[in-house]
Amino acid sequence: MTIDTPTLTRGFVARNWARKHLFRTPLDALLTVVFGGLSLYLIYRAFLFVFVNARWEIISSNLKLLMIGRWPNDHVLRVALAIAVLALWGGLIGGLIAGRQRAAGLSVAAGMSISQRVSDLVRRFGLMIATIVLLLLLTDTAGPWLMAIGAGAAGFAGYWMGRAVGARTLGKWMTRLGMLVLAAVPIVVYWYMVSAHPLGEWEGFLFNMTAATAGIILCFPLGVLLALGRRSKLPLLKWMSIAYIEFVRGSPLFVLLLLANVSLEFFVPASLAPSKPIRAVVTFTLFTAAYLAEIVRGGLQSVPRGQEEAAKSLGLSPTKQMFLIVLPQALRNVIPAQIGQFISLFKDTTLAGAALGILDLLAGAEAITSQPDFVGQGLIIESLVFVAFLFWVGSFTMSRESQRLEKRLGVGVR
Amino acid sequence: MTDSNQTVFADATQVHGDAVIEMDHVDKLFGAFQALTDINLKVARQEVVVIIGPSGSGKSTLIRCINRLEEHDAGRILVDGIELSEDVKNIQEIRRETGMVFQSFNLFPHLTVIDNITLAPRQVRRMPKKEAEALAMELLERVRIPEQAKKYPLQLSGGQQQRVAIARSLAMKPKVMLFDEPTSALDPEMVGEVLDTMKDLAREGMTMIVVTHEMGFAREVADRVVFMADGQIVEVGTPDHFFQNPQEDRTKLFLSQIL
Amino acid sequence: MTTTPPQVARPPLYRNVNVLKWVFQLVVFFIVLAILFWLANNYLTRSQDLGIPTSFDFLDQPTSFDITGADFSPAEPVRNAYLVGIGNTIRISAVGIVFATALGILVGIGRLSRNWVVNKLSTVFVESLRNIPLLVIMTFCFLGIVLQLFPRIEEAWNLGGLVIVSNRGVSVTWFEGTTVAALLGFLFLGVAGWWLIARWRRGVFERTGAPTRAGLLGSSFLILVMVTGWFVLGATVTTPEVAGRAVAGGIRVDPSYFAVLVALVIYTASHIAEITRGSIQAVPKGQGEAGSALALSGSQRLWFVVLPQAMRIAIPPIGNQYLNLIKNSSLGAAFAYFDLTLVAQITVGNGKPAVPAFVLALVFYVVLSLITSTFVNLANRHFKLVER
Repeated sequence: MTIDTPTLTRGFVARNWARKHLFRTPLDALLTVVFGGLSLYLIYRAFLFVFVNARWEIISSNLKLLMIGRWPNDHVLRVALAIAVLALWGGLIGGLIAGRQRAAGLSVAAGMSISQRVSDLVRRFGLMIATIVLLLLLTDTAGPWLMAIGAGAAGFAGYWMGRAVGARTLGKWMTRLGMLVLAAVPIVVYWYMVSAHPLGEWEGFLFNMTAATAGIILCFPLGVLLALGRRSKLPLLKWMSIAYIEFVRGSPLFVLLLLANVSLEFFVPASLAPSKPIRAVVTFTLFTAAYLAEIVRGGLQSVPRGQEEAAKSLGLSPTKQMFLIVLPQALRNVIPAQIGQFISLFKDTTLAGAALGILDLLAGAEAITSQPDFVGQGLIIESLVFVAFLFWVGSFTMSRESQRLEKRLGVGVR
Repeated sequence: MTDSNQTVFADATQVHGDAVIEMDHVDKLFGAFQALTDINLKVARQEVVVIIGPSGSGKSTLIRCINRLEEHDAGRILVDGIELSEDVKNIQEIRRETGMVFQSFNLFPHLTVIDNITLAPRQVRRMPKKEAEALAMELLERVRIPEQAKKYPLQLSGGQQQRVAIARSLAMKPKVMLFDEPTSALDPEMVGEVLDTMKDLAREGMTMIVVTHEMGFAREVADRVVFMADGQIVEVGTPDHFFQNPQEDRTKLFLSQIL
Repeated sequence: MTTTPPQVARPPLYRNVNVLKWVFQLVVFFIVLAILFWLANNYLTRSQDLGIPTSFDFLDQPTSFDITGADFSPAEPVRNAYLVGIGNTIRISAVGIVFATALGILVGIGRLSRNWVVNKLSTVFVESLRNIPLLVIMTFCFLGIVLQLFPRIEEAWNLGGLVIVSNRGVSVTWFEGTTVAALLGFLFLGVAGWWLIARWRRGVFERTGAPTRAGLLGSSFLILVMVTGWFVLGATVTTPEVAGRAVAGGIRVDPSYFAVLVALVIYTASHIAEITRGSIQAVPKGQGEAGSALALSGSQRLWFVVLPQAMRIAIPPIGNQYLNLIKNSSLGAAFAYFDLTLVAQITVGNGKPAVPAFVLALVFYVVLSLITSTFVNLANRHFKLVER
């Protein structure tokens, strides 16, 4: 006689899992019922909202405004081109790093098969790609699609090229020329964009992203100097650094932005007349430098003292000790914290909208609810959900990449 | 190593010929704690001096004062005739003329092996890259690991890393090599390869001051053995004299504990 | 051979390490000073040109504005407005810290729960709120929930007769006939009593081994004290009721305060939850295993072994979140909550000089942060592990 064992065991397993994870004790069972019920209700309402009730036209008809503000329509092509060039550039740099790792035998990706590689990439960037596709679906022209595909292709091309080049070692002058070109690309792109539409009028999500990137890059020199000053045994330097760091870290960014809005122009010669985005970026830079200083200080502490001693005993001057040996290791050790600071700054760029009246993504989302087509219909919720979603995807993806990087760096090479 | 037929002075302050290192009445304090008391020591050219003693006796502090990793508080230290003082120029020159090998290797993890070795010659002595790399490969051959040139330090074993560290110090063509317990952090099976490298160096005529617990090395290679305890030099002698016929009670106590 | 006492050759000044260090410091110091001087000069000359005063005299001038929710007249000097603003900032920060800590620790423990539903729900809570800008959350709470979702006063929600919710605010059952301070005084007495009882019972436990029951006894004492206090002070309960177009009775939590507080609490709680989870997980697994090997039960392991060690790890980062909350409370100004920032902003809007007004506000925030840091450091030191 045959017994129908397979189905029996399957049913058994599911019941076991439920018993263990949902109903282990009476309290457990109560929690499951209460929170489970609550969650199901919330999911149902959310579903209804997103797919049935919500009027998403407010977003789809204002997509350009939300993304790049009131950029002149004849120059929108510049934006597309800039994005493609930056994708190529980013891919190149990523490829160069991957190539260098391959040459040293440190590459993790090299050990994976094609299908493993693809599934790994999907897991990491799938959410971001899905969001981009969603945004594209909200548009009604072919333009954005072409731009997205172009940028994607450029990124890939850049990566393959970079990896091929990174695996080889080039002559001294070639390397120097290459690095000069790489450093120049973002500056050229920036100039290209600004000549079409002055920086003072950059708006939308473009503003949030540019302000965050500019802030984190520009704050580096000051941040590193402050960290070195704080660690210094020379009393004057130490106390000046501590004073700056503690004052800035104790101040709310919102208040600093309000202050900068009304008074930054007074601190510089009248001819400069900084525009609002400049005031915002200057404040972000000075603010983030203090936080970066603490991060770099942690990094400096994490470098074993023996490194400094070895450099000293080889005869290197104190400056060379710091910049060739200690600082590179310090910065590398705190890459996750630096990424965390960037994510923080990225989210804080929304404050510029409220404090300086810049029409960034959030301010724009609030403003469009007053348009004649949409006024008084309570569409603020759709608007805010969209904004929250965009920020969430960006922030979540970056955090996850940072965690992955942390795991990779921490594991070591041997 | 000097010619073993020459009598070696038992007194630390006498040497044959040139004294490369001279320490005169050197004191060192860490706050209230006296780490070194009235150190008098002369080391001759091509001499191998091994310093032994219990932990906390000041052995490491002594050699770290020689290249100014620690600042001595009293007395004089001269390296190849140059006085070690607050003079920046002197300090830099002394550091160029001395090489140090650390217990924890202290290789620079973000640079490849060959970059570790060529860094100082290129930055400090302004050697051109090709020349520096040729020198580096030559030194890697000498320490018998030329194939590791492009690897990163963390990819090597402990013994290999220490040999790279030795090559790195040798790249600056120092007059004196200082060793601070070079094998203490190694697994036993790798101690031999590093000691062999050091023996080769001694045979080639390098002036060496070695702080170590390896008594076999001391017996085989040292010209003089210096015993330190509680921050002072207690006894000095040739290896034979030292291990067979120690004079001081403290020395006898220490030897009985470790041999 | 005796050596003569050592003569050290003095190096020339320009090569002396100690001299060089000081020269370097002084050079950098003077460069920084020069930059600051240039900035200050620009500011002062341009202010003069435009006729804007640069002193702190404005503090004594009348404000010319009202502050909702406080009895404050436009004739009062600016310094009083600042005091009201500081009071509001402290109020929302203190309440926010208490609720955020409670919620955060609960959710943090929830993330480690074996109950799948609780676990996933906590994860969703933390991962969604951590990654959204606080301003977006606050805007949503204010414009979305309070102004949008909450009903108009005529259709206000009445929760069990104790709470009335409308888009004018939330009115909660409260007490009257006495002050918060007096009740807090009794609370303090009750807590002190609890502590003393705990000490006494611990002594008993050490001598006789009888269970302390400190929690039971202490909390009973606290309740007794509070109830006594209630009657002694002559307090009564007032429940809110809709009366026409307003609500009578109870205490009204105005919409700005409510929205800002809720946003601050859930945002900070999500961070505290991560910290709590991380610190419990950071306690080495061997600790729990050692506890099991000693036959301690699950809750005993948690209470005596894991949580104390987790708390030590958690205190500095949680303290940091408190500082963040205090600074984040400044966003309330964007939603008409009369905190210090809004007071400063309106003062400037009414023509008072901007730099002194905002700098004064900044100084207060920094001082508030330093005070909070000091308390956190004290707590940290109190709980530190004694090491070699």
